[in-house]
Amino acid sequence: MASLKSFIKAVRKAKTIADERNVVMKESASIRTSFKDTNLDQNSRRISISKLLYLYIMGEKTHFGQVECIKLLASPRFTDKRLGYLATMLLLDENQEVLTLLTNSLDNDMQHNNSYVNSLALCCLGNLASPELARDLYTNVEKLMGSSNPYLRKKALIVAAKLIDKDPELGEFFIDKLPQLIIDKNSGVLLGCLALIKSLYNTPSFQPTLIKLSNKLLSILKKLITSGYNPDYDVLGINDPFLQTELIAILRLFSTNQAFNQVDEFNDILTQICSIEIGKNVNHAILYECIRTIFLVGSDQSLKILAINILGKFLTTKDNNTRYIALNTLLKVINIEPQAVQRHRSIIVGCLNDGDISIRRRSLELTFAILNESNIRVLIKEILKFLTFTNDNDLKPFIIQQLILSIDKYSPNDSWKFDNFIKILQISSNFINLQYISQILGNLIRVPNDLKASVIEKVHKSFAEAEIKNQFGLSIVIIWSLGEYYDIISNPEINETSILSLFKDIINNSVYSTSERDHLINYALIACIKLSSKFSNTASLESLRKLLLENTSNTNLEIQIRSIEFSELLTTDSKLKKSILSKVPPPPIKERQMLSLTQNEPTTKVKSQTPEPNDLLDLAQESKNDLLSDIFDSKPKPAKNDILDLFDSVPKQAPTNVGIKAFENSDLSLTFIPKQISNGQAAIDSKIITTKTIENLQFLIAVPKSQKLTISTNPNTNMMMVNSGDLVLQNIKLTGKEGSKIKFRIKISYNVNGEAVNQQFDFSGFEQNL
Amino acid sequence: MSIHYILILNRQGKTRLNKWFNKNQTRSEQLKSIGEIHRIVSSRDSKYQSNFIEYQQTKLVYRRYAGLYFIMAIDLNDSELSYLESLHFFVEVLDTYFDNVIELDLVFNFSKIYNIVDEIFLGGEINEISKSRVLSRLTYLDSLDVN
Repeated sequence: MASLKSFIKAVRKAKTIADERNVVMKESASIRTSFKDTNLDQNSRRISISKLLYLYIMGEKTHFGQVECIKLLASPRFTDKRLGYLATMLLLDENQEVLTLLTNSLDNDMQHNNSYVNSLALCCLGNLASPELARDLYTNVEKLMGSSNPYLRKKALIVAAKLIDKDPELGEFFIDKLPQLIIDKNSGVLLGCLALIKSLYNTPSFQPTLIKLSNKLLSILKKLITSGYNPDYDVLGINDPFLQTELIAILRLFSTNQAFNQVDEFNDILTQICSIEIGKNVNHAILYECIRTIFLVGSDQSLKILAINILGKFLTTKDNNTRYIALNTLLKVINIEPQAVQRHRSIIVGCLNDGDISIRRRSLELTFAILNESNIRVLIKEILKFLTFTNDNDLKPFIIQQLILSIDKYSPNDSWKFDNFIKILQISSNFINLQYISQILGNLIRVPNDLKASVIEKVHKSFAEAEIKNQFGLSIVIIWSLGEYYDIISNPEINETSILSLFKDIINNSVYSTSERDHLINYALIACIKLSSKFSNTASLESLRKLLLENTSNTNLEIQIRSIEFSELLTTDSKLKKSILSKVPPPPIKERQMLSLTQNEPTTKVKSQTPEPNDLLDLAQESKNDLLSDIFDSKPKPAKNDILDLFDSVPKQAPTNVGIKAFENSDLSLTFIPKQISNGQAAIDSKIITTKTIENLQFLIAVPKSQKLTISTNPNTNMMMVNSGDLVLQNIKLTGKEGSKIKFRIKISYNVNGEAVNQQFDFSGFEQNL
Repeated sequence: MSIHYILILNRQGKTRLNKWFNKNQTRSEQLKSIGEIHRIVSSRDSKYQSNFIEYQQTKLVYRRYAGLYFIMAIDLNDSELSYLESLHFFVEVLDTYFDNVIELDLVFNFSKIYNIVDEIFLGGEINEISKSRVLSRLTYLDSLDVN
């Protein structure tokens, strides 16, 4: 059989893809044939498998060699074992039946008297542990953890962590070993300990024991930063940065636990680490770890400000990675220390012109986040400049929406507000969503008449001067406002004839898409009927009537119905008409949510599990992308005509505290009473009222991964036995990213009349977001 | 799960190493991801863009060394900067081991590259951080591996 080297050479020599396929197919066939030989010696098997691995890297089919790999690693020769284990780790995965064939070899090799063989088996188990393997082999790992060889100890520790990930119950066999191992001098062993701690920490009952190790961890960290040069672990002047970052990360994990009471000491060490200079990636990695920690630990304000100042310094570096991290982090902490972030305003805004799109996006979002009454004039100017010159069409709808929301919220006065609305409309082309045009119109309705008139004149003027062809947003605004307020405009340039020709120009402009045109016609029809009570010239009135009639045969049903209705309305008696066509009242002010561009990162890790059909957690699988897809959906939503929003003068019901009924059946009803929902935190009471006597009531709630939930029950409540008409009250505390939607997956199970009842459903009926 | 997978791809998109610690994807999904990742990474500008990309439910941390892309997929809430550092550590070890590593070393000695990965990373966790220890260990193992 030819050697691996000659096979690789043959593949490389192939001139065409067809040639290469030919070589590959031929070799693959010969490997298969060799595996069929029942008397295959290990030497030939090893060569075949080494070629099989090359095929694996090339992306070819290799599944037929899985059993052969396991046969090879059972060989007594180290060379065979080494390749056999390597191939097994690559070709097999933890879901395969063949894995059971591995149990014996792993068991033998972990007990082998050669430590190199032990480590091969450990490494394989660490990469390939299935829950079954984990349960069958954990005792071997436990033994190796106590080995006198630090090399085996460090591997065994990480393997233990992996086994616990597969089966958390195994944790109890390992947790007691930690105190002896955490005092190890070997840096690799310490890293292994930290990996084990991380896995164990996922089980709440282990947490108190783990937190007792804090003192030890803190002293290791302290020693690391104060001790001198250590050639083995030094990276550009930093002593063992990998261990430092892992230690900080674990202590950060602990610090969110109430039992952790070394906050001050931890803060001191963090402060000390923060004094390292910036400039090198490795330093930044450690500083970044500290900064993330500072905002989680409840450090005092001076430390938080120090952290933000370091982020500010990060922004001034030339390194894209560091700037990216800094912007990302600033976005997360802006709500904690808004003032400190403000100080870096000019650098943040400067990043709007960065060469990297992801940096531009983040700085854009951050710019919106730091925008307030005091800096709005400067910032809006910068953002408008950015909007004018950017080619990033995906981003435009987001920018426009944010601009409108921010201006609406923070503008110093009405005339400035409208000047900027007009500027946005001028450059927004058709990237503006109808919903936000309505918001501008709603604003217009609320201002006094003289301002209205001057705004409309300005809109009219800018429309005439517009350079961009597609002026969807501006057109809608001009059509609607002329229809509504023609009578208060005194500019002679805006007269009946000019309005009519303007309408016709807009409707007949071929730049608009069909759906844009339909919207424009819809608005024009409304304007026509309104103008019919304002125009005096008979010829103009006749033109209005014609415009309406023209559309009675429009293929768009909405437009056709409107135009027929309006044509009818023209003929009704003038008194009735007048009251119908009177000016619309100002719409209720809607508090719109500021939008976010980046996805929120999951705060808790949920271990990968094979999903069960009845899995409460699969709510968490839901795509977090809805918000983004909403933003990037630049097409105006067709079905809904937003002018109707303006007619809708019924004020929205104020949220009351009677609660929201989430579920009801013949046995019980469940009501949620939101007590307080704001700043990323929610306190909600849940009330279950029974109508029958039920037993073993269980009430479970799951929330998306990005949120954290705790439920507490009044200690006097007896969930085992609930009498008819009783009330079970529970307090729910939810924390998560501000602005995220509250979604529950609820499971209620209980016994009634000896029968088990299970109910599972989703509930997201809260009016407010976190 | 810290590191989900490590890839080494050349500029043409040929795989030089693929090591999957997270085996939730099927083989065909893995191959599809490799193709997509190559397209994303190779189209980025090394001067003006960061070395981080959000991809599927992970973050890719990558760096180009000569004609090769070294890529790691990590959890969304893990620190990109640390992993970039460990990626560099891996490359330094490779470079010393092969004495100025070139792509051809990777092609003909692919199993050695996997051995090096296994010395530094275990189950997706970084496991040894002393270059001299990794190298002396590798040399010793190779001497056992007589062939």
